[in-house]
Amino acid sequence: TVRPKNEVEQKQLCAFGEYMAEILPKYIQQAQVTCFNELELLIHPDGIIPVLTFLRDHTNAQFKSLADLTAVDVPSRQYRFEIVYNLLSLRFNSRIRVKTYTDELTPVDSAVSVHKAANWYEREVWDMYGVFFANHPDLRRILTDYGFEGHPFRKDFPLSGYVEV
Amino acid sequence: MRPATPWPAVPAAAWGRGLARSAAMAGALRKTTGLVGLAVAENPHERLRILYTKILGVLQNIPKDAAYRKYTEQIVNQRFNLVQTETDVQKLQDKLNSGHIEEVIVQAENELSLARKMLQWKPWEPLIEEPPSDQWRWPV
Repeated sequence: TVRPKNEVEQKQLCAFGEYMAEILPKYIQQAQVTCFNELELLIHPDGIIPVLTFLRDHTNAQFKSLADLTAVDVPSRQYRFEIVYNLLSLRFNSRIRVKTYTDELTPVDSAVSVHKAANWYEREVWDMYGVFFANHPDLRRILTDYGFEGHPFRKDFPLSGYVEV
Repeated sequence: MRPATPWPAVPAAAWGRGLARSAAMAGALRKTTGLVGLAVAENPHERLRILYTKILGVLQNIPKDAAYRKYTEQIVNQRFNLVQTETDVQKLQDKLNSGHIEEVIVQAENELSLARKMLQWKPWEPLIEEPPSDQWRWPV
């Protein structure tokens, strides 16, 4: 069986994507809607806090809940890490994805000032990928062992690691 | 955006409020909003009036052609008119279709703080920097 196409939702999400791109042209590089009706906003890294604050506070877009904060490693790109924020709006029952990019050495603004939930997620991204978050209240390792060296989720980190256990 | 009814506070709270409303005099205080941490607002019309005037004042400082100013003024004026024409709190909540009046007040406060921050960030300017051409290509 195939999921039936929901044209109405697709149109609404497209309209909302255009609305966002019109209001924040300084930061939004692209807005796209996947075939599964998921809206994605592709952002310049300087615009993380403005865009997330706008999505949280604006009346037409009350995305009060940060559902997830992850990173994706694509080593062939110039900015290899792609930071992904998944937001949920309880008022309008809709989700949105915000994506930014960075490389190993450039710090990214922390989203903790906008969403308290980002605290441990950003610690995890730091620990696993090595993306530094500026203005984070407490950025330290969260999942790896105390003396662990390296960032395990990077694509160039071997599956069984460097140290024999 | 398609507004969905807030979930799940509405059934229980609306019941309690509805019964209390019909029992008490028109204009009497509700006992509780039914939501944790939100106290019942006395005189919500006044509070909303102040907040919306402040938001419109902040928006005056944004350039007239900015889309943020256009859309926010539209929303705020629409809500402001509803607040001024409708004196009954219950009917106002139904017309606004945005949850309890206390939630509408919280939303207006958020919009005000957002407008102040937008003045500093100026997001209506053109794009800061184009991404590298292969940045958003998927599959890689």
